[in-house]
Amino acid sequence: MSDIMGLIYTGEADTRLRELTTHRAIAAVPMLSRYRLIDFPVSSMVNSGIRSIGIIMQRNYRSLLDHLGSGKEWDLHGKRSGLTILPPFLTKDSVGVYEGFLDALRSNLPYLRSCTEKYIVLTNSFMLYQADFDDMVEEHEKSGADITLMYTKEKGVRRSGQGKYCEVQPNGQVTQIEVDPMISRFENTMMEVFCLRRELLISLIDLSTSRGHYHFTRQLLQAGVNDGSLKVNGYECKSRVWAIDSVEAYYQCNMDLLDSANRASIFPEDKPVLTKLRDEMPTRYLPGAKVSNSLIADGCVIEGTVENCVLFRSVRVGKDASIRNCIVMQDGRIGSLAEVSFCIMDKQSAVLESTRLIGAANYPVMITKNRTV
Amino acid sequence: MLRKKRCVAMLLAGGQGSRLGILTSHMAKPAVPFGGKYRIIDFPLSNCANSGIDVVGVLTQYRPLELNAYIGSGAPWDLDLSSGGVFVLPPYQTGASGTWYKGTANAIYQNLAFIEQYNPDYVLILSGDHIYKMDYAAMIKHHQRHEADATIAVRQVPWEEASRFGIMNTDADDNIIEFEEKPKQPKSNNASMGVYVFSWDKLRQYLIDDEADPKSSNDFGKNIIPKMLADSCRLTAYTFSGYWKDVGTIASLWEANMDLLSDRPEIDLHDKQWRIYARNEGYLPQYIAPGAELSRCLITEGCVIEGSVTHSIISTGAVVEKGAQVIDSVLMPGAHIGPGARVVRSIIAEGAKIGAGAHIGQAEGDIAVVGINVKVAAESSVPAGAQYEP
Repeated sequence: MSDIMGLIYTGEADTRLRELTTHRAIAAVPMLSRYRLIDFPVSSMVNSGIRSIGIIMQRNYRSLLDHLGSGKEWDLHGKRSGLTILPPFLTKDSVGVYEGFLDALRSNLPYLRSCTEKYIVLTNSFMLYQADFDDMVEEHEKSGADITLMYTKEKGVRRSGQGKYCEVQPNGQVTQIEVDPMISRFENTMMEVFCLRRELLISLIDLSTSRGHYHFTRQLLQAGVNDGSLKVNGYECKSRVWAIDSVEAYYQCNMDLLDSANRASIFPEDKPVLTKLRDEMPTRYLPGAKVSNSLIADGCVIEGTVENCVLFRSVRVGKDASIRNCIVMQDGRIGSLAEVSFCIMDKQSAVLESTRLIGAANYPVMITKNRTV
Repeated sequence: MLRKKRCVAMLLAGGQGSRLGILTSHMAKPAVPFGGKYRIIDFPLSNCANSGIDVVGVLTQYRPLELNAYIGSGAPWDLDLSSGGVFVLPPYQTGASGTWYKGTANAIYQNLAFIEQYNPDYVLILSGDHIYKMDYAAMIKHHQRHEADATIAVRQVPWEEASRFGIMNTDADDNIIEFEEKPKQPKSNNASMGVYVFSWDKLRQYLIDDEADPKSSNDFGKNIIPKMLADSCRLTAYTFSGYWKDVGTIASLWEANMDLLSDRPEIDLHDKQWRIYARNEGYLPQYIAPGAELSRCLITEGCVIEGSVTHSIISTGAVVEKGAQVIDSVLMPGAHIGPGARVVRSIIAEGAKIGAGAHIGQAEGDIAVVGINVKVAAESSVPAGAQYEP
C-alpha cells in the first residue's frame, strides 16, 4: 500500500476561461481530443502508485462528477481506498462556498482525519503536466522539509498579475515567495502542487483557519517562509507545464501538443493518461479527406480538409469543408463547403454548410455549447 | 445464494481456428483483433450486454491466456456484476480424471453445475467467430411465443452457397422439420448461424443422455439437434436478416474488415443504441502528421500516420512511417510499417514490424499475412498468399 494520498482542489474560478467554464468546472474542461483536465493529475497520481484520491468540488461540478463516476477508469473503485468526491455542504461551520483553498481544506478536515496515509499531495486542477509524485515525496522525505512545492523554470506559464513565484536556493530551500506580481523577480513558477505529512497539514489548517486565514499560499506558505516557522523546499517538475487560465492559454496548449516532442513530455510511454470511455468506433476517413498535423479522437467522420486541428470524439467534417487551426469538441459538426479557422467549437456545436468563420491566432473565436452558426 | 436468471449465455470460444493460420498460432480465434479496435469476441459479448443477458460463461480451451486477459473482470461490457457477469470456464479435473472439451455439447455438459447455479429458464449458446449485431432478447421472445424446446437462428444464404452450411427446412410456421448438415441438394437456403436458445430443462436432459452415448461425438449440430428432431421436440427457426459474417478464414476476416470501409457499411458501428464495447488501453488520440495521405480508411487511438493509407483498417497503436503505403490491408494493433514500405492486400498481425522499403502482398492474388511480433527485414518482400512467420 502506498503511504501517499492525493487531494485535488477543483474550486478555482477563472473568468478568463469565459464560456468554457460557464457549464463546467475548470477540471472538467475538455483537452486534447479525448481528455478532461482532471485526467492529468489523477493519472499522474495513479501512475505514482497513489490509491486514495479526494477531489474537492466547489461549483459547476455536474460534468466533473459524471466524468469521474466511481473512478473505475483509473482503478479507483476499490474497497480499501479509491476516489472520494468531496462536494461542498452546509454545516454550522461552513456555508458551502469556500473562501479559498484553506477554507476548503478546513471543511474537509473530517475526511483528512479519516485517511491513514502518511503523506498527502495537494494539487490544483488547471495545470497540465506529468509528474512522478512518488519521486517528489521521496525527495521531500530526504530533505527534511515541512512542505515541498513543485515549480517549473519554464517561462511565461502564467500571465502577468497572475501566478505565484518562488526563489529556490541550490540546496532546494525556498527562501522567498511572490503572489500575483505584475513582473516576477524569480524564474521559478509555482505549480500549486504541494506535498507534506498529512498530520502536519491537519495541524497547519487548524492553526491558520483559527486565525481567520483562508489564503493557502499567502497566509500559510508565504508567512511560514518569511518568519522561518516552515521549512519549505522546491521540487522541479520534469515535464513541460501549461496553465489553463484563459481561453488563449487553453487554445495555445492544445496547439502546442500537436508537436510530438511536447506530447512525449506529458505522455511517457509506460504512464498512460486514463479517461472516461465512450466506446466510439474508429474514425472514418472518406474520399475527400485531407488531413495534416492533427490530433483526432475516435468516432469522427471526415470528408473534408483538416489542418492543425484537435478534434474530439464524433466530430463530422463534411464534403469540401475545411477547418484549420481549430479545436472542435465532442459531436461538433462542420457542414459541407464550410470554412472554419482559428475557432474553438464547444460540445455539440455546428457550423452549417457554406458558412465562413475565421478567428485569429491570438483571438480564437469561441462557439459555445449547443450553438449552431 | 445466487439469484435465478431467466437466461444464461454460454459462449463457445474453445476452437483453435486453424483456418486463420498464423493469426491464431498464439491465441484463440475469438481473441483475434477486428475492425481497428475490437476483437471478435466483443461482438457476442456486446450483444449479450445490449440484450440484457448478464451471465455469460466463456468456454475456453485453446491458448486461453490472451482471451482471459482480454475478458478480465468483464468491465468493458458492463459484465462485472456481483449478481452475475462473465466467467471464463476452462475444462477442469474432476476426481480421478478430467477431460478436454470433446465437442460443443460436451463443453456445456461439463459446465452443468455452472448453469444450474442460476436455475435459468433458457440457455443461449453462442460461438465466438462471427461479426454481427443481434438482439438475443428478441430471439428468446420468439422462442417463448412458439413454446419451443429449441430455437435456432438462421439466415438466408445465396442458394449456390447453401451446401456449405447446416440447412434448416421449416414449415410455414417456422417449425423446423428437417436439419441437413452441408446438403448436396439443399431444400432451403436457411443456414444455421450457430446461435441456439434452449429451454434449460430440455437441454439438460439431452446433454446427460448424449454424454451417456459412447457413439456420440457430443456436438450440437451433429448429435443434439438431430436427436431432438427425431424425438419430435418443438424446434423453431428464428430468421435473422442483419449483417452476419463468419470470420473463420484469412480471406473472410479480411473481407469483413473491408466491409467496414464502404460508404454505408452494412454493420453500423456508430449506432449509439447498440454499441460494440471493447477493452481500452488508454492510448493517445490518433495523430495524422503533415504529408500523410488518407483515403477511405478507419484509424483509431494510438495510431501515428505519416505515410499514405488507402482503403485499409489501421488498429490501435499502429504506426505508418513516412513514404510508406498501406493499400487494401488490415494493420492489427501495434503493427509498425517502416519508411517507404509498401503493404498491399495484407494482414499485418499484432506488433509486427515491417522494415523500411519492404514489400508485402500484391494487388492481385491471395491475402498475405505477417505473423504476430514478426519482423520483416528492410527491402525484403513477402508475396501474395504467403503466411510469413520465420
